[in-house]
Amino acid sequence: MENPSAATRPPAIETVRLTKRYGKRPIIRDLTFQVRAGEVYALVGPNGAGKTTVIRLVSGLAFPTSGTVRMLGEDPHERPSVRRRLGAVVEAPAAFYPYLTGRRNLRLHGRLAGGVAESRIGEVLERMELTPAADRPVGVYSLGMRQRLGVAAALLTKPDVLVLDEPASGMDPLSLHLVHRVLREAAAEGTAVLLSTHHLDEVVAYCHHVGLMEEGALIDQVDLSERRARHRAHVSDAPSAVALLRGQLWVREAHARGAEVVVALRHDDDIVALAPALVRGGIDVYGLGRDVFDLRAHYRERVEAERVRRTLADVPGPTYGRGGRA
Amino acid sequence: MTALLAMEFGKLGRLVSVRFALVVLALFPILWAYAPGVFDVYGFFIVSGFQVPALSLLSSMAFLLPLLVAITAAELLGLEIQHGTLPTVLLRPVTRSQWLLAKVLVAATVPFLALAWFLITSLAAGAFFGFGEFVGGTGLGRDGLIGVGVMTPGAALGEVLRAYATAAYALVPVALLAVLFAVLFMNAAAGALATLASLIVMELLVVVPALTPYLLTTQLSAYVTPTAGLGWVVALIAFYCAGFAAAAVIVFERKDF
Repeated sequence: MENPSAATRPPAIETVRLTKRYGKRPIIRDLTFQVRAGEVYALVGPNGAGKTTVIRLVSGLAFPTSGTVRMLGEDPHERPSVRRRLGAVVEAPAAFYPYLTGRRNLRLHGRLAGGVAESRIGEVLERMELTPAADRPVGVYSLGMRQRLGVAAALLTKPDVLVLDEPASGMDPLSLHLVHRVLREAAAEGTAVLLSTHHLDEVVAYCHHVGLMEEGALIDQVDLSERRARHRAHVSDAPSAVALLRGQLWVREAHARGAEVVVALRHDDDIVALAPALVRGGIDVYGLGRDVFDLRAHYRERVEAERVRRTLADVPGPTYGRGGRA
Repeated sequence: MTALLAMEFGKLGRLVSVRFALVVLALFPILWAYAPGVFDVYGFFIVSGFQVPALSLLSSMAFLLPLLVAITAAELLGLEIQHGTLPTVLLRPVTRSQWLLAKVLVAATVPFLALAWFLITSLAAGAFFGFGEFVGGTGLGRDGLIGVGVMTPGAALGEVLRAYATAAYALVPVALLAVLFAVLFMNAAAGALATLASLIVMELLVVVPALTPYLLTTQLSAYVTPTAGLGWVVALIAFYCAGFAAAAVIVFERKDF
């Protein structure tokens, strides 16, 4: 899912050295990241890493101890009106008045948001496949239905920014797929999406950036858009293949990984030139395909490495800005 | 703000404490009107239905009504905490102070709604004694239950209404104190208990006579024996209300959710 124009847009969400302490205990440390319109940014990390606190700081529910949060250029604490353009789910499961029906809960949200047409309520209920249950009290909804209603409430006002804490927790595979599809569509329509999640396999398919959190710090930011644009070739001589490919104008970057060469192309269409170029250079090509990024392995490796580093050095984690190490 | 107020008033009927209060305030006057030991306690026989509201108020204003008002006011916030809806509401473009002020305004009406219901149930309980002219007093005027002669129904009803309105007004700061404590502790039970504890401590401060006219607890008996002029009572209670409401808003503005 390429989104080349996103990088030129101003950030819809921006945190700069965001820090939150409870007493002397740091919960969030020096967090800097950006999410632009049309991008999906996933915060991942072990339980207790601070993902929920970040979601609450960004949405204006909690106050930073230091650092700044900007939503569409505004501080959500100083300018609550900016929340007109925010859709959010900050509880898992999403919280609603259990004695009201799903539809009436959404009406209430609509009223608080300054008024939403009844047709729009029907539309989001339909989109989240909740129409058959719309007139039942939320108290009888399953966990997954509540979560879907949460996403429906977040989408209600056609927000420019979506902030979601574990939006798909406790969902069956079909609902899980639905929620991620809806988030992908929202981003394609230009909404900036920030979510925290443990569903690495789902987010790797469509997120633009992933922020890895551990102990309140952002230990890595991965540009998945760039990762998805890579290809790998199993070749007879990987070092020679790298040297050859680095000399090609249509190759942005090439490096060896065992018997394979991993190539980032300037344009996806240039893939057709890859094998012929290698063969012309006297290198046999045994296989060619997309370089599927293993986020799960990367996550495990980075979190474990960070834990070892902290144990040895006993120092706070690093801060990565946009374009940081991936 | 109108939408917020409508929403908050709509939630009142969902509160367990409101349902509990409705039942208690319906049964309480019957108990006092027909209990066999009333003569032993008050030394008189009920001769008019207008005296039942007095007995109800006299016996509940010290503890029962503050308790019910405090629990209900604290539960207004407790309902959101229980359902986890507080962050959800705060994510909408209403300011925190707007949202809490809506709660405060609804909490301020709770004593009036409670005492209106209490008055209805008390008068209903007193129907057996009739509402005609009677010799004696309502118990809520200057001359107590004994009175100074014949009392007309109009005069009696006037005294009862004035006393209930004053009592309701005196209970408003109790409701707002409960909101303040509920905001501080983010817990309805703790909010109600802290309010009652504060009232008990204030009661004990009568040992400092200079403080007595300023105490909130002193004003709780203003419906029958105001320590100073009614203007003083009104101003002092308004001062308490403003203080508690402002403190609740200030604390709420800086809360993390």
